[in-house]
Amino acid sequence: MSTPLLSVTGAVKRFGGVQALRGVDFDLKAGEIHALLGENGAGKSTLMNLLSGVHTPDEGEIRVDGKPVRFNNPREAQAAGIATIFQELDLVPSLDVASNLFLGRELMRPGGMLDVPAMRREAKQRLEAIELAIDPSRLVADLSVGQRQVVAIVKALSYASRVLIMDEPTAALTVGEVERLFDIMRKLAATGVGIVYISHRLEEVPGIADRVTVMRDGRVAGIAAPHAPQAELVRLLVGRPLDELYPERAKSVGRTLLSLKDASFRLARESAGWQPPSGITLEVKEGEIVGLAGIMGAGRTELLSALYGTGLAGRWQGEVAVDGRPVKLESINAARKAGIAFVTDDRRGSGLMLRMAVGLNLVMSVIRRISPAGLMSPRRQAEAVRQSFGQFDIRPKNPDIAVGALSGGNQQKVVLAKEILGNPRLLLLDEPTRGVDVGAKGEIYARLRALAAQGLGILVASSEMPELIGLCDRIVVLRQGSNVAEFIGGVDEHTVLAAANGREA
Amino acid sequence: MSDQKISVAASPSVPAAPAARRVDPLAIIVRFQSLIGLVLVAIGGVIFSPRRHGEILFLNPDNIANIVRAVSETGIIAIGMTFVIITAGIDLSVGAVLGLSAVVTATMMISGGFGLISTILAVLAMGIVFGVVQGTISTRFRLEPFIVTLAGLQAARGLALIVSGNQYINISYGDGPGLAPPVFAVLGERLFDNTVPVATIVFIIFAALATLVLNTTRFGRYVYAVGGNERAARISGVPVSMVKISVYAITGFASALAGIVHAGQFNFGSANDGMGYELTAIAAVVIGGTSLFGGAGSMVGTVAGTIMLGALANILQLNNITPATQLLATAAIIVLAAVLQSLVRRREGLGR
Repeated sequence: MSTPLLSVTGAVKRFGGVQALRGVDFDLKAGEIHALLGENGAGKSTLMNLLSGVHTPDEGEIRVDGKPVRFNNPREAQAAGIATIFQELDLVPSLDVASNLFLGRELMRPGGMLDVPAMRREAKQRLEAIELAIDPSRLVADLSVGQRQVVAIVKALSYASRVLIMDEPTAALTVGEVERLFDIMRKLAATGVGIVYISHRLEEVPGIADRVTVMRDGRVAGIAAPHAPQAELVRLLVGRPLDELYPERAKSVGRTLLSLKDASFRLARESAGWQPPSGITLEVKEGEIVGLAGIMGAGRTELLSALYGTGLAGRWQGEVAVDGRPVKLESINAARKAGIAFVTDDRRGSGLMLRMAVGLNLVMSVIRRISPAGLMSPRRQAEAVRQSFGQFDIRPKNPDIAVGALSGGNQQKVVLAKEILGNPRLLLLDEPTRGVDVGAKGEIYARLRALAAQGLGILVASSEMPELIGLCDRIVVLRQGSNVAEFIGGVDEHTVLAAANGREA
Repeated sequence: MSDQKISVAASPSVPAAPAARRVDPLAIIVRFQSLIGLVLVAIGGVIFSPRRHGEILFLNPDNIANIVRAVSETGIIAIGMTFVIITAGIDLSVGAVLGLSAVVTATMMISGGFGLISTILAVLAMGIVFGVVQGTISTRFRLEPFIVTLAGLQAARGLALIVSGNQYINISYGDGPGLAPPVFAVLGERLFDNTVPVATIVFIIFAALATLVLNTTRFGRYVYAVGGNERAARISGVPVSMVKISVYAITGFASALAGIVHAGQFNFGSANDGMGYELTAIAAVVIGGTSLFGGAGSMVGTVAGTIMLGALANILQLNNITPATQLLATAAIIVLAAVLQSLVRRREGLGR
């Protein structure tokens, strides 16, 4: 067997008292796509940071072409041919594509003027080399997330061309964009580039990886073949068989909570890229979890935010009823009065006050209840916080630390617990497990099901098809803002996908 | 800081943190930075104070009374400013509103023949209205408070010039037309055996009330929520616009109160009163540990920051150090306070 392009042996890394890596071996061959899986805190980011020169290992060795190397900073790693694409793409949105590709290494004319035509020409060539037709003079801000991702790849490859490390590159991509990205990755691999592909989307791995390394607790939990069954990967990820990631479905449902009949949301002003609900008919009953499926742009998020009054301004037309009574759901106040709560898909941006304590965040939606006569009651607040910690296993069990210091899964539990404290009757959830590790996902699903069993109605939008299929009692498929199909939970994925894409199953 | 006051760690069924959880010493320094700074400045004051017949002049009761009197106007403003800055806003109009209030106070009593109570109530109401207008414009049209209150600054100075006719309005005391009630002059005096300046008492009472409002009321919690994450607050049902308008009403009120105190202390009102106070107040708030990004801060910090700046200026004056050096020293302290906060943010992994 040939010498690996890049290898790590016995890597140990400590941060203060925390041991992030406890002796990790990892290798990457030329032309290989090597998937690196792990829950949050498993150590995959730390490993990535060692490979890309952000951190240096406390023990262990990194070799490139069999020769030991030591990267003191990312530039040294780049000089050795290792490029890293972080989740937050290092692109400047207000500059055009060519300027981004040449940022810091601009081509100059004699006399110190930028040679814009030359940069655009060369940018075009590089983009076309991976068969991407993007006009290099377009602003990055105007590109889709998928296109930006590719620009970031091209940029990375322009200064380091042997190893490409990609951190969750598909997190924000549509199904189509993921496919295109995978095509590009395969092409790059065919030219001899080694790719480390970090992801938490198990279902993508078989389609792209040549090899899978699963990390857990700072160690390599196992190396699997790309077509290993998902159950096997999940077992490696969480360290125990996870037969019951999804809880049992509802045994019985109650009265209709939310009912939309041919309901449309008329925007005060049209907005490109915002697909308003148009002619939707659906119901959510007490005790029921209803899923919203659909491709990106089908109007899932828009439906939820229009119901909660957080989206663009506009008015509902058609029949919108809660508890059988028509309601005007056009403001957050109206929605909350109707017993509706909402958890956004963006917990850091619009769900949490990151710098504030967990306890303060938890009571945010019930401040009125815990401040009789306008004065905060420490006793009522403590009761509310206690209730949340009892319902959701938020860790660490300390309401006084900043919520921003929690893991993604625990932050998500805080957002959910916060809304549950308000005793809603109908809960709107947008991507309830985005960026949440598998273990916490299971806990969240179980908790949602338990709340439904107590009569809560839940309407959940998700781009993760297995989640909808596993969690929901019914799945409503949206296309262009309207419901086009409905399935019972447990239906197979291809049927739902076909309906979402407007094809025959 | 207020987070501590509402801590629930003591409640039995919420398990406490593992004993191993370490406390970042830097975070503690930042939390109490203004108090620590105040203590350091006081120690420095004692060490570097000039002495006369063995007496440390810095600690002379008259000198201390001077320090706390000199800071009371900017202190009152800084108290109001703390609310605004916790919501991640800023109010640049405060110094100008102080000037306008001083002018209106003097004019109403001298030329208008209004009584003491009606003058004070009218001026305070004017301050509140001024703030409500700024807050409403800012929220209604989604404008940056920086711009709106910059315009407010110009407007208040303009109004003050119109009212005063660009003259000093001198306040003379006595009974009858054209004279202010003598009791108003008490603002420039000292109580309790001629020790505690009345202006300082106003400052302390206002600070105490503000501390209660910020730490124990629903409104106070809303203020932190709006600054912590406005969108999240909105989604949680917090009346965000109402809260924002209210905090500008508070700075308006505080500026008017400071303006009344100013007129009472100096016995005149001038359109140029309070020039630059907005920057001193912002400096005191920032040194007090309140984050310009919003969502974090404390009233105690602001009070300590205010007094610290005053004490520092006092020591430098006692040593006949030039105003230029005072400015440079203040600059260094502001930068130090901001750097400390930035370091903590980065440790928390929340830095920008």
